[in-house]
Amino acid sequence: MIIQDTLFVLWLLAAGPVWAAIGMFLLPSVNKGSADKDQISTTTLQIAGVISGFALGPLGIGLFYFEPALIRRTTLSAGIVLTVFVSSQVLARVIDPELPSGLWLILAGPLWAALAAYFLPRQYRAVEANDQNVLTAAALGGFAIGPLIFGLMWQRTPKISRDWMIALGSLGAWQIYTLFAIHNPANPCVASPFHVTYLTQQTANGIVIGAIYSLMAVGLTLIYSVQGIVSFAHGQLYMVGGYFSFYFLMHSSNFLSDLTGAEISINPILGIPVAAVIVFIMGALFERFFLKPMHEGLIERVSEYAILITFGFGFFIEYTTLAIAGPFPQRTDRFIEIRRFTLQRAQITDDFAFGPINIIGDRAFAMVVGVILIFALLYFLQRTWTGRALRATSQDRQAAAVTGINPTNMNTLSFGLGSMLAAMSGAALIPIFAWVPWVGAEMVGRSYVIVVLGGLGSVPGALLGGIIVGIVEALGAGCHPDPSRGAAYKEAFALVIFALVLLLKPTGLFGREQT
Amino acid sequence: MKRNALFISLIVLLAMTTLLPVSVLQADGHCEFADETITIGGLAPLSAPGAVAGGVAMDWAFNQAADDINADCGVQIDGVNYQIDVVTGDSEGSPERGQAVTERLIQEDQVDAMVGVYHSAVGLATMGMLEANQIPTVFSEPWNDNVSANGIREFDGAPPRFEDGIDHIFRISPASSMVGSVVVDWLLSLGVDDVVLIVENTDYGQPAAADEAARFEAAGATVSKIDVELGTEDFVPILSRIQARAEAPDVIRILVTGETSFNLTQQMSELGIAPTEDTICVTNQFAFQSDQYWATVPDGNYCAFNRVGIIPSLFSDAAVELNAKYEEAWGDIIPSFAMASYDAVYILADAMERAGSSSDAAAIVAAIEATDLELSQGRYYFDYGAHNPDLPEGTPAFMWHQWPDPIVTVMQYYEPGQSGLEAAVVYPEVYQTHGSSYIVPGTSP
Amino acid sequence: MAFFKRFESTIDNGIGRRRFGYIVLGLIILFFLWFPNDSSQSNYAKTVFISGFFYAIMASSWALLAGIAGQFSFGHMAFMGIGAYVAGLIARDGIVFATLGIAISPESISAIGAIIIGTLIAGLVGLVIGWLLLRLRSAYLALFTIAFSELFRIMMLTEYDYTGGSNGLSLRPLLQIADVDTARQVEYYLMFGLLIVCLLVMHWVANSPIGLFLRAMREDEDAASALGVNVVRYKILIFVFTSMIVGLAGAVFYSDVGSERIIPEQLEVLQMSLIIAYAVIGGMESLVGAAAGAFISRYLLEATREVVIALPLGLTTSDGSGAFVWETGAWRYALFGVIMVFTLRYMRNGLLHPIITWFSGRDLIMQETVSKRKSDDDYDDQPEAGDE
Repeated sequence: MIIQDTLFVLWLLAAGPVWAAIGMFLLPSVNKGSADKDQISTTTLQIAGVISGFALGPLGIGLFYFEPALIRRTTLSAGIVLTVFVSSQVLARVIDPELPSGLWLILAGPLWAALAAYFLPRQYRAVEANDQNVLTAAALGGFAIGPLIFGLMWQRTPKISRDWMIALGSLGAWQIYTLFAIHNPANPCVASPFHVTYLTQQTANGIVIGAIYSLMAVGLTLIYSVQGIVSFAHGQLYMVGGYFSFYFLMHSSNFLSDLTGAEISINPILGIPVAAVIVFIMGALFERFFLKPMHEGLIERVSEYAILITFGFGFFIEYTTLAIAGPFPQRTDRFIEIRRFTLQRAQITDDFAFGPINIIGDRAFAMVVGVILIFALLYFLQRTWTGRALRATSQDRQAAAVTGINPTNMNTLSFGLGSMLAAMSGAALIPIFAWVPWVGAEMVGRSYVIVVLGGLGSVPGALLGGIIVGIVEALGAGCHPDPSRGAAYKEAFALVIFALVLLLKPTGLFGREQT
Repeated sequence: MKRNALFISLIVLLAMTTLLPVSVLQADGHCEFADETITIGGLAPLSAPGAVAGGVAMDWAFNQAADDINADCGVQIDGVNYQIDVVTGDSEGSPERGQAVTERLIQEDQVDAMVGVYHSAVGLATMGMLEANQIPTVFSEPWNDNVSANGIREFDGAPPRFEDGIDHIFRISPASSMVGSVVVDWLLSLGVDDVVLIVENTDYGQPAAADEAARFEAAGATVSKIDVELGTEDFVPILSRIQARAEAPDVIRILVTGETSFNLTQQMSELGIAPTEDTICVTNQFAFQSDQYWATVPDGNYCAFNRVGIIPSLFSDAAVELNAKYEEAWGDIIPSFAMASYDAVYILADAMERAGSSSDAAAIVAAIEATDLELSQGRYYFDYGAHNPDLPEGTPAFMWHQWPDPIVTVMQYYEPGQSGLEAAVVYPEVYQTHGSSYIVPGTSP
Repeated sequence: MAFFKRFESTIDNGIGRRRFGYIVLGLIILFFLWFPNDSSQSNYAKTVFISGFFYAIMASSWALLAGIAGQFSFGHMAFMGIGAYVAGLIARDGIVFATLGIAISPESISAIGAIIIGTLIAGLVGLVIGWLLLRLRSAYLALFTIAFSELFRIMMLTEYDYTGGSNGLSLRPLLQIADVDTARQVEYYLMFGLLIVCLLVMHWVANSPIGLFLRAMREDEDAASALGVNVVRYKILIFVFTSMIVGLAGAVFYSDVGSERIIPEQLEVLQMSLIIAYAVIGGMESLVGAAAGAFISRYLLEATREVVIALPLGLTTSDGSGAFVWETGAWRYALFGVIMVFTLRYMRNGLLHPIITWFSGRDLIMQETVSKRKSDDDYDDQPEAGDE
């Protein structure tokens, strides 16, 4: 075990992590007076110690040790130099700077988005201006117009309205689209004259599948709005809903066939209520036994407990299903005997035609089912006493309790209903996808994206979020510059959106402001 | 209170070992067996993230073979009957687990020989250990070209590298190049020149796609490759992208396994991309299990697929019987890897009988090399080994200890709901059952 | 029961429970040190122990991050993967900064150098992610880290030209010992040593003022901040610290110590969920408990693959043997899920907690962490039932 790399050893001796650690402990301890005068916090001192020790070893530490006044400026410049260096390294590998996109990356793009997102909200807070939406606007602005956003927002700190964000967001989107057109002229998303049809087709794909995704996400959001927890068993409840529908249809059609002697098949739409009832009961029972104590103050750190206990519940469901149903894929009959709906090609002018647009028949049906169910839920929440009680509980538990609503029952109801919605979307999708016990994993990941995008707790947000995620996935896979990788990264597109929303606007599109 | 908690915790920890049993091993009473048994180790993915469906079928085949051999008085060595016992280890589809479990089988279960594996990555990872411990091994399902006598870790095309001349690993599954060449030859004979490969990004999909793409390109066809992740359900966006091309491709070849391939095939035919008059749909061996296939791909009629193993119309009695047993157990047609796994145990038992020993690795290896045995998949023999060490120029190095003719055929469904056993064999010509090398959608042979 | 009582009082009157606890702990450590020298044990048993040590590091560092610091991260496996993948890529491709003219050839980087760089990069990514996570709490944090982890896995799988895709990536072997038995012995001690060192360092952190601050932040961030705890610094610090520990563990484990290659499947959410389950069963707020939980759970999951039940009273099954054999398959994971749920509900501090408590003679964890949730206006005004 000899370290063969002499350069590496030299660096380890003269600088490197050891000196970084020394710097971290040494710097904050010294020259307090000078540091206090310049109002340098201990954190800054430590960071400076780490950086200088790591890069220059004793030399760097010594410099700051005797001249703390240099620290702030040097650390800042070092940070900027490092950022520019690393990003130029990355950019040089990814993109040729001669190309328009290289220019764009220098003049605008993610680097400026990060800088703006870091500095502008600080400036707003420093002058005590209203900093609502500033983070989002700054990031979008840096992305779209680069340093100009500093000019717009630094001195006068205007109040950021929704129009700002829409304008900046569309500008950024337009830039990306233009860059696509320049770099990748053969891409079907930009290649005239087919791209209008193609983009419409992909958007339609996204809307259809997105509306189906929403149904599941609505359940998640309902549970969150009443109980304030995220159910990590949602994917497994979705999966098991599909299986309940499958077994119900199989056994009942066998039973009827035996009874009548003729081959009888049952439309899978009848499986939806069956799965809904069973999983509602499952969810409600689970809530009674495992989540209720949480609301009675018997459990500490409620949100962690909720994550873990629902997670364990899902784990149990998944493996029990695997043990019973086996790993072989299943599927029910289809809803309707129409393979696809096609909007025929229409020649609009001599050199421009629109169409054909194809939508798979069963999917369109499932979308309709999903949308009807979501509106039924909205009707229930808005117009019935129980639904109003649920909403009241979600808004103010104590006020609701005062008016005679039993919050404990509302908790159970919300978890049961949320689980039921997952099961219903499972039962609605088993005619469309091959079903295996681990089918929930991919789907639930997407539901998390949807609810966070729409705003945790908002039902219309979940519907819109589902459609947006559907469209993003469709366009991402459809327009990815490398056709061979587009589909493999399909899941990743939604995850990127998710990460961005969490970082820039955790309340999502329709979420309540967090406290 | 605290003491109660202590006892509860002990009770819960012990609860795992006090559950009720379900299954019972069967054995027949008419043979006199020696006290010792011959233990063969099996390696298959029995839990996620491995391909569980494949693993349980392999495990079933190993045990079925052992039961059938024991029912026939086991392995006879020097006039004594030995019972055979297969211990299956769970590789979980991971090389790390595969290695650990192989080590356990060798050291704790003291296996005399090994059969398996499903994932090529597991095969590659365990070969070094099997070689070092001199365990005669018959691999029945890994397809990667590198899994063969020559390729420990990386394939370099060199001849066998074990100095003492003993090389313990045999393979009766095809190398992926052997499969790819049949499919590509078939498609080229139909005159295709615009190919779309849809490929899962795994150790099965990528090497197979690279091999097929190279063959197509060598023949002047254009190839576009699309990677997908296993577990994807919705393929419509990428299929729309194919549909948006100015001209429909001549063929879409699916190198994706399991339920992911079923979802893909179904969505492809629902959208009217393939199979159509313009575009040939070629999927893979998973389509042969027709119950699963039709349950999940109701619109998949006229899709062709490659299949390994003897064609159904030539099934021997042994194969028919084995298929019946599989159908009884799992309600579907037997997949080729279950057949191969079953045969692998028989090959080992036969070699032990001829070697006259269950523990002399060198003798068993020599006996396997000399195998000439008619089993469910056909006649087994090995062209190149210590008995015939020089591979002629131009013969790929993976032919060392490789069963040279796993029959690879292209089959095609032509009626919805058709059993895999009745599907038409369209290529190679010698095996054609319906006198046609491609059934155009909408027609029947 | 009576025997147990007698035993208890003997201990109390004799050396005292605490000291007895140290003796038991010492015996356990001695057992682990002696184990590879037991010639009746196969190399496989050592392999199982080696991966047990690895998962023990993962579970206990997760317990530090999630249990003690309250940062509920699902990204632990991803940081492990970053450590291993960076070490592997550097040992394969070297380091090239074209613009600076720096090029370090892969040959000049030793396995240790690669591991150190892997660990540092894991820490660096931990720093960035930790900084991004500052604003997020509980469920949001969990979701974000799931997304991060999945993105990382998909990238490792899809960019197979660089990462080897699902074939995995080989790291430079850390030990080059030809003899298998000696090698396994050295690997065993290496991994065990790493576990002990990690546990000691983490124990030191958890019991230092930093640990106290972390616990205070976990219970009430605003209050802790008001009392002068630099919330930002400690949150980032603990994130970087645990990322480096798992990065190190991953880089070492996959440098042919426990396994010869890292595959993307190892980074799946399922693997992460197993680590969480280990930590929960062992005790989320106790480092040793979580480590032991991982070790015992893995052992039990392995041991219960096939359950053999000997029938009493000379009964026999239909094939004449005296025992039933049950292939547990997926059922054992289902049972594992049940145990996890019940542990959470009824024994929040893990199944090992009563044993640890018995030895220490007092309720170590509960006293420090009892929080008065009943005053929280989010919840009903029902009376709080006593916990113990």
